[in-house]
Amino acid sequence: MPGGDFHPWLFFILAAWILICGLGVVAFKKVMYSAASMVACFLGVAFAYALLNAPLVAVVQILVYVGAISIVIIFAIMLTEVQDGGYDLFFNRQAVLAAPLAVAAAAVLTVVVVTADVGQIGDKALNPSVKGISLLLFKGYVFPFELVSLVLVAAMIGALVLARKEEEKS
Amino acid sequence: MNALYWWLTLAVLLFCIGAFGVLVRRNVIVVVMCLELMLNAVNIALVAISNFRAGALGAGTLFSLFIITLAAAEVTVGLAIVIANYRNRRTVQTDQYDELKG
Repeated sequence: MPGGDFHPWLFFILAAWILICGLGVVAFKKVMYSAASMVACFLGVAFAYALLNAPLVAVVQILVYVGAISIVIIFAIMLTEVQDGGYDLFFNRQAVLAAPLAVAAAAVLTVVVVTADVGQIGDKALNPSVKGISLLLFKGYVFPFELVSLVLVAAMIGALVLARKEEEKS
Repeated sequence: MNALYWWLTLAVLLFCIGAFGVLVRRNVIVVVMCLELMLNAVNIALVAISNFRAGALGAGTLFSLFIITLAAAEVTVGLAIVIANYRNRRTVQTDQYDELKG
């Protein structure tokens, strides 16, 4: 049973929520419904982080995923939604092959994960507090931290350059 | 069964749903959304392992923070490419991006 300071059923309700919303992203025909389902899924994942004793990650998940990434995706949907219509097929022909493949991959991965020897594990929750994480981040991982900021600047400039309108060439 | 395995199974299932979506959907934006689902699945696995495995001491949590940051960068650039492509081709369907077809 999933351990922690919460009732085990909470885990199963949460897992069902996350998986059903994830399936909704794949199955909804309208892109906007997919996006709404994705937001619900991200909220569920944030709740999962909270249950896993990682409140910082839960808050960052809500800020970045539910807040920022969803907005960007919804903007993109609104900018690109095809008005010419008539494109009803939302699965392509690979679905026939991909469905058994995905189920088989899920089965194999589940067996591997459950039988894997991941070393010593206990039922105690071990995630450090926010203080512990920040100590780890700013002591051991300063270089990756700075590198990530560089990546963010590069991504920002790259997105601006890619999405801006081409100037008229004389 | 240990608590960790339940969380890892949840992560595996979410990952496979995301992978299935990436394989079958036509709309590029939905493909990006399914990629995000896969990244979230990996994050759940990392945080769960960091929570239950002695000796990891928060490294998994830290890595999930890095992954969230990079996912934000990835989504920005990816959707910029989608919009630039849409401007040229007026479509977001993957099977209509076929300029390179001989």
